[in-house]
Amino acid sequence: MTEHPISVMVVDDHPIWRDGVARDLAERGFDVRATAGDAAAAVRIARAVRPDVVLMDLNLGEESGVEATRKITGELAGTRVLVLSASGEHNDVLEAVKAGASGYLVKSASAEELVAAVRRTSAGDAVFTAGLAGLVLGEYRRMASGPEDDAPKLTERETEVLRLVAKGLTAKQIADRLVLSHRTVENHVQSTLRKLQLHNRVELARYAIEHGLDQDQD
Amino acid sequence: MTGRVRLPGERYRGPDRPEPKDPAAPLWRSAVLLRIITFFFAAGVVFNHRDEYADTTLGWVTVGVMAVWTAVTSVYYLRENSRAVWFILLDLAICCGTMTMSRLVLTHEQLTELAVPLVPTVWVTAVVAVGAVRAGLTGGTAFGLVVALFNYGVRGYVDTDLTRDMVLLVGIGGVLGLAATTSRQSAERLAKALRVEAATAERERLARTIHDSVLQVLARVGKRGRELGGEAAELAAMAGRQEVALRALVSAAPLESTEDGAADLRPRLQVLATDRFQVSVPATPVMVTEPAAVELAYLVQEALQNVDRHAGAGAKAWVLLEDLGDEVVLSIRDDGVGIPAGRITAAEDEGRMGIARSIRGRVSDLGGIITLETAPDSGTEWEIRVPSVNTAKGAK
Repeated sequence: MTEHPISVMVVDDHPIWRDGVARDLAERGFDVRATAGDAAAAVRIARAVRPDVVLMDLNLGEESGVEATRKITGELAGTRVLVLSASGEHNDVLEAVKAGASGYLVKSASAEELVAAVRRTSAGDAVFTAGLAGLVLGEYRRMASGPEDDAPKLTERETEVLRLVAKGLTAKQIADRLVLSHRTVENHVQSTLRKLQLHNRVELARYAIEHGLDQDQD
Repeated sequence: MTGRVRLPGERYRGPDRPEPKDPAAPLWRSAVLLRIITFFFAAGVVFNHRDEYADTTLGWVTVGVMAVWTAVTSVYYLRENSRAVWFILLDLAICCGTMTMSRLVLTHEQLTELAVPLVPTVWVTAVVAVGAVRAGLTGGTAFGLVVALFNYGVRGYVDTDLTRDMVLLVGIGGVLGLAATTSRQSAERLAKALRVEAATAERERLARTIHDSVLQVLARVGKRGRELGGEAAELAAMAGRQEVALRALVSAAPLESTEDGAADLRPRLQVLATDRFQVSVPATPVMVTEPAAVELAYLVQEALQNVDRHAGAGAKAWVLLEDLGDEVVLSIRDDGVGIPAGRITAAEDEGRMGIARSIRGRVSDLGGIITLETAPDSGTEWEIRVPSVNTAKGAK
């Protein structure tokens, strides 16, 4: 490879896991710039080392990985966050994705899956697992049945694609089944995520303005 | 291993708590206060009529009895523990007794034409309140009725004024009784909510502990073992299965249903997840009727067992739960060998295969439909659609 290696940072409060993942990635040619054991340290260190990808556990004790994700993706344009967390932490995973994470991988994923996911994340693609697709589908449906009229909606095609992701089909299988290009499938998946994140930012900004939080920051 | 992990379904029992206070305690205090106030009123009435009675001495004796009884009941009813039924019946008897004394104290004219109040006057309403607070609507109205009937009996006639008294007595008893029952019920609900909250907090604490220790190690063992291959990979697979099972246990919400018989389907499906079976659900509860939740979880379990038996070694399966508002959609897809065309119907004809008849029958019992897509080598995909809890209720 002529390009510089992808730089990563591993955030997890459990040392066994943190060091294990860091070693796996280093062995496979990634530039592991830093590790962090809690949310505050994660944000501080990420600002300093500006990694391409932050692997973020959400269960970080006092402060959750969701806020760290929001701060990192908000402040550092070149840094993407990939959530690497336990399955089943539904709300946290959904919140982290809304806060700006590019995808979600379960901790039981193999080293190959992890490496592939980090590469995809650094390339700007979304890393969608079946579990995340189910959460995102549910979130859009929740918003559609709620009182907000400006909530983002899925197109029919996006719903179709997301359902297939949630049923465990790979992007290639989906492309075959729907007679689309691989790239188009990826774009549909990306767009569902982007709409959700944009909406989340607008909501936060509106909340801040309504509660006068925007003035306190000057 | 001799240690025991407490499963999330079990209830958390907090440290021994003192006996809960009677939530109707304020009502008891009000009843006591009512008796004290009405006693002074009654004494005042007797003082006013002291020169007109047939037997004034007996009138004062009756007032004395009332004073003593007011003091005794005040002490007794303000105690926090049990208020015995016999005591309350004695209370009723004494109140009726003081009313009956009026026949000797008052002159015949006072009892009839002049309509002078009986000696205890409104003092007797306090016992109606006691009956209501103790025994609810039934107790309140029954005590009101007894006092009203004595009122008729002592006077010896029936007229509009006495009937108005009866309506008031029975009405007060009924209303107070309802209030007492309601306050007890809401206190019960509050206590239940507090217990659920304590159980949830305990679950979360356990989940955190397990997450921070056992799961991290299991995950790491599983991952590293797979990479090493061979026998280590087999151990890794075992660790992996335990990890997934434990995660599902600690992350699934308790299997509880709400008071109106609706249940969240998600936790019942999440516990079915393994390293080969993935379960995807929304982040918000998916409510179906309690029987539907049991039934659907059973169907998914059946379908996954079918994958285990027929889809081939290493086949994976994905369960997706969606809430469309008016209906709930469950998809179960596997990437196994699929079912050859005609096998389901062939098996159905032979009458031995469970899938077609039992699953189809069960789903249609729930008012839902089931479809199956399959082809050799492309796995199977079931889709079950059942009405959601609101729709199901509206249909009835």
